[in-house]
Amino acid sequence: MMSDDRQNVVDMDGTRVDDDHLLSMYVDNELDAERTIALVSRLRNEPRLRARLEVMEANDQRVRKLFVEAVNPVPQHLIPMVASENVSVLRATRRWQRWASVAVAASFATALALVVDVSQTDVFNPMSMDPQLARALEESPSRATGWDILDDDRQFRSVLTFPAADGRWCREFLLIQGESHWRGVACRDSGEWVNQVVGSEVFLEQETQYRPAGAGDSEQVARFIDETATDVALGPQQEATLIASGW
Amino acid sequence: MASLTAQQRKDLIEELPRLKRFCLSLTSDPADADDLLQITVERLLEKGMPKDAHVAKWSHRVCRNLWIDEIRSRDVRSRYAQSESVIEGAGTTSATTDESLQLDRVSAAMERLPPEQRAALVQVAVEGCSYAEAAALLEVPIGTIMSRVARARKALAEDLEWSAEREA
Repeated sequence: MMSDDRQNVVDMDGTRVDDDHLLSMYVDNELDAERTIALVSRLRNEPRLRARLEVMEANDQRVRKLFVEAVNPVPQHLIPMVASENVSVLRATRRWQRWASVAVAASFATALALVVDVSQTDVFNPMSMDPQLARALEESPSRATGWDILDDDRQFRSVLTFPAADGRWCREFLLIQGESHWRGVACRDSGEWVNQVVGSEVFLEQETQYRPAGAGDSEQVARFIDETATDVALGPQQEATLIASGW
Repeated sequence: MASLTAQQRKDLIEELPRLKRFCLSLTSDPADADDLLQITVERLLEKGMPKDAHVAKWSHRVCRNLWIDEIRSRDVRSRYAQSESVIEGAGTTSATTDESLQLDRVSAAMERLPPEQRAALVQVAVEGCSYAEAAALLEVPIGTIMSRVARARKALAEDLEWSAEREA
């Protein structure tokens, strides 16, 4: 807890209240009627007391201006983070090293049935990079709902964009091809998008929401992001600026 | 304790600007305030809160406790040695008018206040809390809020008067 200063507490009956406390309580409309009348009377007759009140009120206005107008606003990425019902934890490098950060992982919950680490070249890679997917990764903003339709009728959605520890930009994405649904992470390496981890997913529709079939499976993509990301996912404006600048 | 309900998420989003100001009142440093707000939100999302919890009070309590944990882990002496720095983003780079100069002075004076006085003053003078509301939020007696707010205003007035005289 913060240091306690109860030895300096003002008595509620006012017997120990000095002028500074009286003026402060007057400014905050915390004086009772009797003491308000007495103080107003004094303010009429004591210029120094009145001047002190005016200084106090002017300083209050400046403090309000400092905190309300001049202070940086709430970081934009926090609002969708709070609004989303599905978040995953990313490791962050920040001044407070022991803190983790959270990024919006998906607009709906999904079940990850299979995860393929494409760095292992011997395994079948259903998500080999192609020009259309690369272009979508290059140009499409992340979104919570809806899909981009690629030229071959595949549906694409970028979920989030985050910086990797090695300086690359990476994007988590969803892709639908016929009956197959995929989730993956691709990173931009020397101007080329390269898949890092991909997996097929089973979307189980329940009422109007997608629900996970197995939470344990979906952790594998999250774990990859966890091990790779150095900061929180970009907010919409930051991402738009990055896309517009050509990464 | 379950995750946040839809209503609690909505309330928390509405509370974020005020929570951000509270973070700044605790830390007096914009970067620290951003970090504190971030970890507060993360903690709330991870741990949730009781269904009947008052979102503003609960989030402020979590925020304050996280800051207390943080300052316990820091070297307090080195932290306060940086008393010459001022709150950024308050016009420090463009003190071209009397008002912006005044804001710079207020920013520096606010940073020199003891954190508990600064937090009380912000709750009352900026957020418009009554003493009872601020006391509930900061979990101290009402009389303590009265005293902290009054002493903060007195210290601010003296500090700013001294700054103005020194620069005159």
